[in-house]
Amino acid sequence: MNLMLNILLNVIIAFLIGTILIGLQRKIMARIQGRPGPPIIQHLLHTLKFFIKESAFPKTAAMPFYVAITAMLFVIWVAAVIDGPVTEGSLLLIFAIYTIQKIGEHNAGSSSGSPYGKMSCVRAVYSAAAEVPLFAVLIIIYLKAGTMNISSIINYQSIHGPLLFTIPLAAIMFFVLILSKSQYSPFAITKGKDIVSGYETEHFGLLRGYLMISESIAWYMLLWVFLTVFIGPLSLPAYLIGMVVLSTIVAFINAVTPILNPNHSVMMQVSLAFIGIAGSIVLLMI
Amino acid sequence: MNDATYLIYIISFVLGSIVGLVLSYRKYTAPYVTKNIDIIALIVSIIGWMLVINSHLITFIPIYLSITIGIFLVALVLGMRPGYGRYETVIGFILAAVVWIGTVLV
Repeated sequence: MNLMLNILLNVIIAFLIGTILIGLQRKIMARIQGRPGPPIIQHLLHTLKFFIKESAFPKTAAMPFYVAITAMLFVIWVAAVIDGPVTEGSLLLIFAIYTIQKIGEHNAGSSSGSPYGKMSCVRAVYSAAAEVPLFAVLIIIYLKAGTMNISSIINYQSIHGPLLFTIPLAAIMFFVLILSKSQYSPFAITKGKDIVSGYETEHFGLLRGYLMISESIAWYMLLWVFLTVFIGPLSLPAYLIGMVVLSTIVAFINAVTPILNPNHSVMMQVSLAFIGIAGSIVLLMI
Repeated sequence: MNDATYLIYIISFVLGSIVGLVLSYRKYTAPYVTKNIDIIALIVSIIGWMLVINSHLITFIPIYLSITIGIFLVALVLGMRPGYGRYETVIGFILAAVVWIGTVLV
């Protein structure tokens, strides 16, 4: 297949599946909490709605950065799709993209000039200090498989079995990272409702639409990375089933846990990352 | 199944959900009714799940086409307004699964 067509196809799939999974997650959370909940496609309809709404720009916004940051967040997640499902390239690149995404969250908040956005911007720096070490558990994969190339990791697992069973602590830590990025998560301090919508508060219309598309693609990509590097070669329906299962587990956790205080959230994530990395290294040495 | 077929299935699901949502808001006026089972929705759900799960039994149309139509019909019921379409979806799935298990065993 033509590369550009393949990229386009995968980006649309990532967006649609990501947005449906976020909708599913909200629905499950609502049912657990005894609420009817929104339809599963509510997040998709919500995203599309913003593209036909008026785009207003706050007077306090730092132009053109305020606009550019939304495009940047969108582009980096498209780059993640290209590096991931399309080319099965380097895991390091996805790690870099994730780190840039944290900077994007930070800058989206600060560029708006809103106090809620700025508060979210500070929390993005806090949470980066915790989430980046969590993502770093992927280094354990290098120690085990001897490669950071996604296609080589898939090949390794097709020979030696899923890494989920050989380095379970690393998988759990990566799951905590996925949990951190989910909506209404105990670790979702950058978008806590105490600061309205965090860094998204002052982005309206088209800009908000782009932020929501990025959010959906990011969710798909994190689940894709987890399934690919810890479970191994999967067919497309198996990916879908795996993503639904992970989203359901996350929904159960989020439905019964309140958002943590930012300091507690970061300390818990850092502690888990430390346990994950140190524990995995010990397990590898035994 | 390649990526393009996969995308067609997803689009079919999305379109089915949107149509189901719009139609259900027109058809049902009560805000949240969980007890009733709508016969038409039940029939649509059963046909949909049969097409999705037992597409190999339908030989006169290509499998990808029957699955696409099936997903659309399943989403039509699953995507209805909150409180509607749940029992219909579960019953449709169970019936289709029973038929699938039957074909596997036979």
